[in-house]
Amino acid sequence: MRLTEARVAIRPRNPWEAVDLGVLLARQHRRLLMTSWAIVTLPIFALLTVLLWDYPSAAVLLFWWLKPAYERLPLLILSQALFGAAPSLKEALKAWPRALKPQLLASLTWRRFSLSRSFNLPVQQLEGLDGLLRAQRIALLGQRNLRVVRCLTSMGSTLEMCFWIGLMLLFYALIPQQVELDWSWRSLLEIESGWNWLEHLTNAFYALVLIVWEPIYVSCGFALYLNRRTTLEGWDIELAFRRLRQRLVGSAYALLLGVSLVFSFSPSTAMADDTVDESNYSCPLPPLDLPQTEEQLAAPGTARLLSQPLNSEASQSAIKAVLDSPPFKNPKAVSGWRLSDQKRDAKTAKNGDTSQWLTRLVLILLNIGKTLSSVFEALLWTAIALAVAWVTWRYRGWFGTFVSRDTRKPQVRRDAPRQLFGLQVDIESLPDDVASAAEKLWPEAPREALSLLYRALLNRLLTDYQLPLKNADTEGQVLERVAALNQPPLHDFSRELTRHWQNLAYGHQLPASEVQNDLCEGWRRLFTRGAAT
Amino acid sequence: MSPSHAWPSNAAQPAPLDTRVRMETPEGIDLVLRPAGLLSRSLAFAIDLLIRGALLVALFYLLHAFGEFGTGIFVLALFLINWWYMVLFEVLHQGRTPGKQLLGLRVVHDDGTPVGWSASLLRNLLRFVDMLPFGYSVGAFACLQHPFFKRLGDLAAGTLVIYRDAPTARPVLPQVPAIVAPVVLTLEEQRAVLSFAERQDSLSAARAQELAGILIAPLQMPANMPPEQALSQLNGIARGLAGSA
Repeated sequence: MRLTEARVAIRPRNPWEAVDLGVLLARQHRRLLMTSWAIVTLPIFALLTVLLWDYPSAAVLLFWWLKPAYERLPLLILSQALFGAAPSLKEALKAWPRALKPQLLASLTWRRFSLSRSFNLPVQQLEGLDGLLRAQRIALLGQRNLRVVRCLTSMGSTLEMCFWIGLMLLFYALIPQQVELDWSWRSLLEIESGWNWLEHLTNAFYALVLIVWEPIYVSCGFALYLNRRTTLEGWDIELAFRRLRQRLVGSAYALLLGVSLVFSFSPSTAMADDTVDESNYSCPLPPLDLPQTEEQLAAPGTARLLSQPLNSEASQSAIKAVLDSPPFKNPKAVSGWRLSDQKRDAKTAKNGDTSQWLTRLVLILLNIGKTLSSVFEALLWTAIALAVAWVTWRYRGWFGTFVSRDTRKPQVRRDAPRQLFGLQVDIESLPDDVASAAEKLWPEAPREALSLLYRALLNRLLTDYQLPLKNADTEGQVLERVAALNQPPLHDFSRELTRHWQNLAYGHQLPASEVQNDLCEGWRRLFTRGAAT
Repeated sequence: MSPSHAWPSNAAQPAPLDTRVRMETPEGIDLVLRPAGLLSRSLAFAIDLLIRGALLVALFYLLHAFGEFGTGIFVLALFLINWWYMVLFEVLHQGRTPGKQLLGLRVVHDDGTPVGWSASLLRNLLRFVDMLPFGYSVGAFACLQHPFFKRLGDLAAGTLVIYRDAPTARPVLPQVPAIVAPVVLTLEEQRAVLSFAERQDSLSAARAQELAGILIAPLQMPANMPPEQALSQLNGIARGLAGSA
């Protein structure tokens, strides 16, 4: 065992931390530990199952009873892995029978129920102690650790149970429902040899759980043992001392060797001695300027280094000045209103009164618990109602968007265009009575009058009939949309008006005078009457 | 047993396994955190469970006397104790529930800062995943496999359960005259010498002399010096390092 080759950081830990180190140790070598454990235990479990097929509980009990025998294998692996490379799987399995022999009977009988099993195992397996010596050694090592060791074992058994039941539940949850129907509990409770396989299956779960947990358990006990020895024997100190020795003596040897090589050619040996002497001091000692007593040296507040231009007081004040200036301190004046102390006092006094009054009130109210319960009920319901109301109000937009009961696609409300193919069609640009305005305009400016009528029609189509007219639509397309509305009078009127408007606008053909009458009357018939009714 | 294979001397040694985590703050200070493992945490949880159970039973009998009102209050208390006991203690009591307090544990964020509301709520809500399928099996398994012993709740919330640093008592050094170390010692070596002097009572006399014997040559003591004298020399150096106090 060479401490300098230890694969874990050696330092005294508290026992709980030592257990954690054990978990980490087992985690580092988990593949080797779990494989070797499985290779050893699973055949034994299978053998026991076959031999005791009719007694499943006895099989698992025996398997459980033999645990200390298997536990020697992980310890064997861990003890080698700690101070060097871990053994290979084959080496470990070969070494196991040899580690099994000593004190096997004791481990399996009167020491089987010891709660500090994993902690005692290294003493008997690695130190090879037995009888009185072993008892003394365990008493010495276990002085502060026994409580933790017992906690470890009891938690371990609880954990095994939890994992075991957990695995069974998981297995039960994964059975398809059709199969599950046949497994009524009555038939399970009946003592039938047909159900033995199920019990053996649950026993197998226990063997699986042990593969995961037992190496960790052994490793934790081993780590506790190591930790106790580290504290008792100062392993960490030895390690640091050995490194120090390596650093100083190792380098001094090299230097000595070099020096002797150089001076072996020179006749003067006295000079060589001098050089060696100097080389021993890797750093000269600082000169002590004043012979002072220990007390004076120690007191941190006293002025020191008084015989030089920059003494300790001056340097301290300089340091303070630097520390008080901006990069280290940024003083800032903050002004504001605060409660005066007088008022605060008055307030606390008032609070004291209130609490006294409250206690009396609570005492009275507790006597009429029934009333209070209804009051509280009402308050709670109010609170819930308020909360719901607040939530609804706060997220009304969200509700409107996502929880709308209206499944129809909501009407897309678009802004009606104010202009269509260069014509003003918004309501502000039109007179109230379109027909009369057109009649009035007709004698002087028939073009404006017809344009007015057409614009008014477009406006009505946009606003009253909500036609999605676009700037790019032609007059013909507008007519098609009107036709799609399936309103013959409107369609007829629109077609007439559009024809005359196109003739005038593009062909410069004035419509006949009776057309004016027709159109204005048609307009009145369609819109003014519609508006009146 | 086969002799252990020596590690090839030119290969870099892997970092030794340790239970400590170093966390560097933005100020360049190394904080050493010691994550707590399954054993201490499960014990802390068991203590908390007992406290909660006792509290609920006591409350049940106490409030039972007040009829319907009492039942209502009890149900509220049940909710509060079930869901908020851990959270409130962790956030308002420096990451410590009573059970953790007893075992010297506390909950912090991954970077060592005190645990906040969201992290604490998350890690305690996810207890219900860790409990599956029975008796915290998932949580225990995750805890055993994670290098910092985290269960799923800790992984999700980014929290860590660590051992608190207990205030240490002032160490007592052997009363010997102080000596200036004949060579310059690094910080680590100084610490080793100091802890050697501090822990001398717990070491056996023979072991202490054996340890002191290691340093006879490097500290330039005469080679034929008896081990008791080497021991007192080393104690003197420790005193010199500690300064007189």
